Amino acid sequence: MLLTGIGGQGVQLAAKTLAMAATAEGHQVLMSSHYGGEMRGGQTEASVVIADEGLRSVPILESVWSAYVMHARYWPAVADRLRPGGVVVANSTVVDELPTGDFRLFPVPAGQLAVEVGAVMSSGFVLLGAYGAITGLVGVEALVSAMRELVPPYRTQHLVVNEAALRAGAGAVTALDAPAPFGAPARSARASVGTAG
Amino acid sequence: MTTPSPAGPTGAGVPAGGPAAAVLIATDAPPTVPNRKVAGALAPLQLSGEHHLCPGCGHPVAWRLLLEAIAELGLANRAIGVVGHGCYTNIVSLADIDFLQCLHGRAPAVATGVKRVQPDTAVFTLQGDGDLASEGLAEVLHAAARGERITTIMLNNGVFGDTGGQMTAASVVGQRTKTSLDGRQPEAHGYPVPVAELVATLQGSVYVARGAVHNAGSVAKTKRYLKRAFELATSGAGFTFVEVLTMCPTGWFLPTADGPDYIQDTFEQTYPLGALKDV
Amino acid sequence: MAPQLLQGSDAVAQAAIAAGCRFFAGYPMLPFTDLLESMARRLPEVDGVCMNAESEIEAVNMALGAGAAGARAGTGSCGQGIALMQEAIAEAALNEVPFVVFNMARGQQDYFQATRGGGWGDYRTLCFAPKDVSEAVEHTQLLFHLADQYRAPVMLYGDYLIAHTYMSVDVVPIDFGPLPPKDWALDGSLGGTGKSRQIWTWAMGKAGDPGPGPDLHWQRIAEKFEEMARVETRWESIDCEGAETVVVSFGTAGPFVEQVVGELRADGVRIGAFRPITLWPFPEAALAEACRSADRVLVFEVNAGQMIDDVRLAVAGRVPVSPLGRVSIDFSGMRQGEILTVPWIRDRVHQAIKEVKV
Ligand SMILES: Cc1ncc(C[n+]2csc(CCOP(=O)(O)OP(=O)(O)O)c2C)c(N)n1
Ligand code: SF4
Ligand SMILES: [Mg+2]
Repeated sequence: MLLTGIGGQGVQLAAKTLAMAATAEGHQVLMSSHYGGEMRGGQTEASVVIADEGLRSVPILESVWSAYVMHARYWPAVADRLRPGGVVVANSTVVDELPTGDFRLFPVPAGQLAVEVGAVMSSGFVLLGAYGAITGLVGVEALVSAMRELVPPYRTQHLVVNEAALRAGAGAVTALDAPAPFGAPARSARASVGTAG
Repeated sequence: MTTPSPAGPTGAGVPAGGPAAAVLIATDAPPTVPNRKVAGALAPLQLSGEHHLCPGCGHPVAWRLLLEAIAELGLANRAIGVVGHGCYTNIVSLADIDFLQCLHGRAPAVATGVKRVQPDTAVFTLQGDGDLASEGLAEVLHAAARGERITTIMLNNGVFGDTGGQMTAASVVGQRTKTSLDGRQPEAHGYPVPVAELVATLQGSVYVARGAVHNAGSVAKTKRYLKRAFELATSGAGFTFVEVLTMCPTGWFLPTADGPDYIQDTFEQTYPLGALKDV
Repeated sequence: MAPQLLQGSDAVAQAAIAAGCRFFAGYPMLPFTDLLESMARRLPEVDGVCMNAESEIEAVNMALGAGAAGARAGTGSCGQGIALMQEAIAEAALNEVPFVVFNMARGQQDYFQATRGGGWGDYRTLCFAPKDVSEAVEHTQLLFHLADQYRAPVMLYGDYLIAHTYMSVDVVPIDFGPLPPKDWALDGSLGGTGKSRQIWTWAMGKAGDPGPGPDLHWQRIAEKFEEMARVETRWESIDCEGAETVVVSFGTAGPFVEQVVGELRADGVRIGAFRPITLWPFPEAALAEACRSADRVLVFEVNAGQMIDDVRLAVAGRVPVSPLGRVSIDFSGMRQGEILTVPWIRDRVHQAIKEVKV
């Protein structure tokens, strides 16, 4: 999957939370981040690969099954790589800006839900909670504990609202009929590792 | 800053109105006491008396003081020397303690690595002015600022002795070298770097002294400086630094016997002797 | 322990500590910086020391000192920083002080720097290039072992994708078997006994117990490197048996090539992939063997053509060797230039296969 947004929206933290939660649930995970020069306001993108076993994926993805979209500005870079019929979980404030295409769109009013639970700054976590629930990739409990591990000690005051945000997102959506397919299928290559010793 | 006056060959006399003190020996008559041995030909920990340094070179005197200091402080089986590149490097073969001969100028960084993983050892660096003031000024200043518990000894003869007598960062104004043929000129060559003074300004250094080996008094004092430096560094107080002015008649293009006077008349004007810092 | 999600740098730091590394010194430079930060965080927890050195020159010399005093030591940097370290890496090779250099390169353009030295004297640097984070974790531990075994500085060639990718990994200490005690390491204890130790590139020994001197000493070291070249080469060869085309790549480019080659193989193309795991010693014989049935060797590397020299030496003119990569730098952060993607590589491989068929 790909996560996209603009710097400062918490996209990287969401990606890490997802990756850590999936690891805790026993999956093999690969996550990499890509961003422009600036920490805030620039392009920010992360990719997460979740596999059951034998993860054999490159860290720069050619195509993805799903996307998490916090902002439309860098959408074209995502659209290029989305597989036909892919799942897009998007912050609904940006949905109008997404051109239609061959994908299943799940709009989530992340900003509004965040305000409702008193977590104005945590719309990224609302969307992540929703993403987890829609795709069935990770449970909300795993997301909550991963978030708790990741929030730095000087920000512990945010733990409560972040948790509320994750739960609000998860509670606001219904799951896909067919949950996410895991990982790249293992290929039958005849690889041999050699050593002269 | 004190400049010790050399004990002149005939300078001693009997103080007016008092009995002759034991330390004052009349030299206007043949000695009344027979010859006796006050020190062996070899210093403690010294494996051989043969070295290939030039006649009149000051380095072997400094070596001896270093080994005596280590032996007298009981550090022989805890000492690790990290030695730079210069004529003094030969001590690595001549002394019975652990040595690491390292890259030019980098001894304080190497010694840092040694000391940090062997905190109970007495780690020292032995470097020349070319090694330390020219090639490795950054390393010594950083080690001093970090307060590494090591002792750095710089043998300052104001010249690259080993490579045949070129100007170093510590050559004094007016000094003739192969790369300052008419003497070091500030307009062309800039000014010497007073390393001891620089090190003394850094908070991590606890002891800084400048000694010399051109006469008996300075030899005795330099040994005291070295002992104090080792004591403080091994007790964990911080970085200690002893600069020792050494004769290099070859690199100064002087007759062998003129080395000590050159130190006294020329070097000491730029590099005053004494303890600069003792906290 | 259950797998944890770790950033590559942090995984490497944990692997180093699992291998017994207790001293690390570095100077910040991306993408090496994260490893330095991880070491600064983790080493004190095991009573180790991490130095935020004042330059790469100081960092590598500190590692040399710690290695000489018997500790498992590491340092690292990339590009220009590794250039500054070359003098000390060469020195350590010649005075036989082990430590591990983590070269978290800014891409693949430092192959020559890693494999050709750049320091002085007759020496070589054992260099492993992992393809991903889990391989880096294994290589890190093996490198500490081999550094001690051969008493030599060794190098891990990582990059952005190793340093910054997160992966679920389980850092388990690997037992590579016993090594002889480090009776050569300096601890001062033998001073005054007539048996004090010495670490000296010139190996002149002590008065009364002269050493071999530089000629014999360096000759012996050269023989040691020959021995390493004989027994320490490592490689991965995928579907090369019977392949008409072999694509060679190293480090993190390997999995990208592997994916393209796998697709083509599934389509019936007789193509294989070969990846040197040790850049030095380069697995020449293994590559020659892998190319036995090939009539075309393609070299994908993200640089102007460096490893291709070694590939050509290995196949010794028996098969035409062509470059696939080019200079490709990306300032934005993570990617190593736009060419390191599956589609780009796929296009070039397809093109190259077609070209020869016409
Ligand atoms: C990197 C490097 N540059 C230059 C040299 C050559 N070199 C060897 S000894 C020396 C002079 C050392 O001078 P100093 O430290 O003052 O020692 P001295 O011989 O005067 O006692 C030089 C320049 C070297 N060994 N390494
Ligand atoms: S050149 Fe100078 S420093 Fe070197 S041995 Fe001769 S007198 Fe001593
Ligand atoms: Mg000198």
